[in-house]
Amino acid sequence: MRSLSFVQRVSLDFSGTLFPHAICLGDADNDKLNELVVGDTSGKLYVYKNDDPKPWLTRFCVGMVTCVGVGDVCNKGKNFVVAVGAEGWFHLFDMNLSQIKTDASGHQETVLGDDLKPSFTQHIPANTKVILISDIDGDGRNELVVGYTDRVVRAFRWEESLDSTELGSGQLVLLKKWLLEGQVDSLSVNPGPDGSPQLMVSQPGCGYAILRCTWISTFDSQTNGASVSESSTGDVNMRLTSGRIHNKNVSTHLIGSIKRGPTEESTKCGLFALCTLDGTLKLMDSFDQLLWSFQVDHQLFALQKLDVTGDGCEEVVACAWDGQTYIIDHNRMVVRFQFDENVNAFCAGQYACKDGRNSPCLVYVSFNHKIYVYWRVELERMESTNLLKVLDEKEEFRKLLGKLHLDPGDSTTVKNMIHELLYGGAYKE
Amino acid sequence: MDGLTASGCPFVEDSFSRFSSQSNVYGLCKAGEQDLLAATLKGKVVNFKYQDLRQKIRPVAKELQFTYIPVDAEIVSIDAFHKSPPKQGLVVGITFIKDSGDKASPFLNIYCDYEPGSEYNLDSIAQSCLNLELQFTPFQLYHTEVYCGNGNEKETVFLLSGHDQRIHLYKENASLHQFEEQPIESLFPELQDLPSNVLRLHMVNISGSLRRLTAFGCQNGCVGVAHVDQSSSVVLQSWQLQQDGPISNVLLFSLSWNTETRKTTSQSTVDDGKRSKERFNLLVTSAIELAVVYRDVLTTGLNDQVVLPDSDQYDAVLCSLVTDVDFDGTEEILLGTYGQELLCYKYSTDAGDLENLDGHFKLAWNRSFQSPLLSLAYLDLTSDGLCELAVLSLKGLHVLQYSLTQTAEFVIQRLQQKVKEASSDMLDNKGRDCGTKDI
Repeated sequence: MRSLSFVQRVSLDFSGTLFPHAICLGDADNDKLNELVVGDTSGKLYVYKNDDPKPWLTRFCVGMVTCVGVGDVCNKGKNFVVAVGAEGWFHLFDMNLSQIKTDASGHQETVLGDDLKPSFTQHIPANTKVILISDIDGDGRNELVVGYTDRVVRAFRWEESLDSTELGSGQLVLLKKWLLEGQVDSLSVNPGPDGSPQLMVSQPGCGYAILRCTWISTFDSQTNGASVSESSTGDVNMRLTSGRIHNKNVSTHLIGSIKRGPTEESTKCGLFALCTLDGTLKLMDSFDQLLWSFQVDHQLFALQKLDVTGDGCEEVVACAWDGQTYIIDHNRMVVRFQFDENVNAFCAGQYACKDGRNSPCLVYVSFNHKIYVYWRVELERMESTNLLKVLDEKEEFRKLLGKLHLDPGDSTTVKNMIHELLYGGAYKE
Repeated sequence: MDGLTASGCPFVEDSFSRFSSQSNVYGLCKAGEQDLLAATLKGKVVNFKYQDLRQKIRPVAKELQFTYIPVDAEIVSIDAFHKSPPKQGLVVGITFIKDSGDKASPFLNIYCDYEPGSEYNLDSIAQSCLNLELQFTPFQLYHTEVYCGNGNEKETVFLLSGHDQRIHLYKENASLHQFEEQPIESLFPELQDLPSNVLRLHMVNISGSLRRLTAFGCQNGCVGVAHVDQSSSVVLQSWQLQQDGPISNVLLFSLSWNTETRKTTSQSTVDDGKRSKERFNLLVTSAIELAVVYRDVLTTGLNDQVVLPDSDQYDAVLCSLVTDVDFDGTEEILLGTYGQELLCYKYSTDAGDLENLDGHFKLAWNRSFQSPLLSLAYLDLTSDGLCELAVLSLKGLHVLQYSLTQTAEFVIQRLQQKVKEASSDMLDNKGRDCGTKDI
């Protein structure tokens, strides 16, 4: 297995402890560049920008922050930061530049006051674990899905009161509640066989469930969710993946909508990946077809997707507690990277760390008050190759060889010629 | 000739092999054209190579089981060479210290297979061992080609420096099919009466002659260079100077070795004539001082010194390599430091003339690593005519490959030029087949 050592990294100061889902990358301030959002167990929310080790913004939430997200949760065409606490407090932050006063050094003024409070709070059922901001029912509007520690998943939608456009005038309205058989460790959306989005949740033992998202579309916001549809049979479509599973209770993670290519239509049949704490990794498509699976002897606890080669196909990234990280493409080519510490939380994605542009990054939260961002994980290709094979694919090269009356298939001659072109002298040991 | 126009390091890491225990500055050697051997402290030797499998190449680092290395042995140094023709075979030497508790005993194991057909097979070489007990603590194991007898026969020998202020010679006894220690004086008169323990040795046979340049760097900071006539075993010239702190490496190089060959690729006779007049420079890296280059040692001795600026800013320089990194016909200096940094220095002159003596070295680029750098090697591991840079660090072996997309474009550019030249040649001397003659 090919392994690499990434070195370009920045370390960010983070003194708290956090839940594994209380970290995410996203464009919090709508400047087209991604920020890193982290929430800790004391209720503090940090937003990091570029390679500055100090947080760009700090905010306060009620209770322990268990999950954070960045997205257009209100369907206003701009992103907000969402932080949800274990006690059930939902916080919405508007971090658009116009709202933020910063001092000369770029850090936010340390004024205690209204600025540090969330733009909106609401109490939703407690014991939250994981959130997802995405369009789950195909209506073009985003919903907020919350996974709970008591095997429950709830979907909410942001509803504005008709007479006002102020942020404070809207609220979350419960759409549906599902009760699952096992713990839900991840929520994801994946295009189904017909191309419409499917809400998928992970289930123990390398399983997953597809949750049916049907509800009365014309929702009366005045009922305050009283008419919420409880899940009935058929709403939870449980799937177990085939293959050798050592422990059917093992914690499982899932990620969907893995891009297959640069064009949009290539996402018609969605790819999703699963990983378990006992080291199983699988890539499947929405027809339930297994593309590959393999076993590692590391405890995988986080699963992400990231395009490291820049070809439009997203690779699967899995991280183990001991820092071992696997990057796997659709053809099952693996690149390994060992982060040298134990990992508290992990995420991967685009982050604008250097040079004012988004680049693929791996983010590790360590146990020694640091977050490490590896900001240069771009690879030319997933598998090793050599110059002969790269040149062989170039028409121009074959044409030039022909002019010199050389046979492109005669690799020894071609090799000697390349050596002479580059180093002048004849090929020697 | 314009080189690769890359700002910054042209290399990208293709593979990193983590070792179970740390290695040291004498722990990496080439074994043949496409194999690397890396020795780790806890008695393990790793063989790194690219395996060709189903039209794909993949990096493989596997442990080689060299026989007669006890479990409690700690490897000091490793080296390997191909026997000089007409002899055949690969020879691997490993020095280690066996610490049985009361007394540490050092050994040199020499591995070499005489069975026809398996002379180059590392697995079978690892099984045929000659075990020599040493009376001194070994340091660097080095090999060089010498002219024996009347100067017609070439032979490659091992040279092992020790803490007894001496360098020991191990030469194959052809009739016994065995290596044995031989007195150093007869073949290497310059290596007698050394001023201190030698940490690093480097020799260059001056092509087109029977003369050789020898450079050594010592524990006490002494650097020595000698110009030796091998046919008569006479030291023609020698120079010494004293630096502060142990010398981590000495390297003899010629800087512009192929500027002439570039201009006259097809005229090998002219090429040889130029080479014998080449000027040799000496790179000296030390544990505490700046790295320096002594220019044209054959003419000026150790008097014409140029420093490599800021080479002391990244802790001690532990390893170095001189090679043409950017294909411009001029060699660059690569330094690996304990401060986890790889530095590349380029020689530049105002006039652009390399013979000009008022040139200086400039830091062209640097690249960071995860752990301190111990040793460097530049060889064609992927068997495509393009060399890779192997970097041994405290944690393992990094193999850096040129960015292939960029290099492929560069090769095509050069090839277009070559095609243009070939077609104009064709017009000049019609009827002569010259399109491929210099390959």
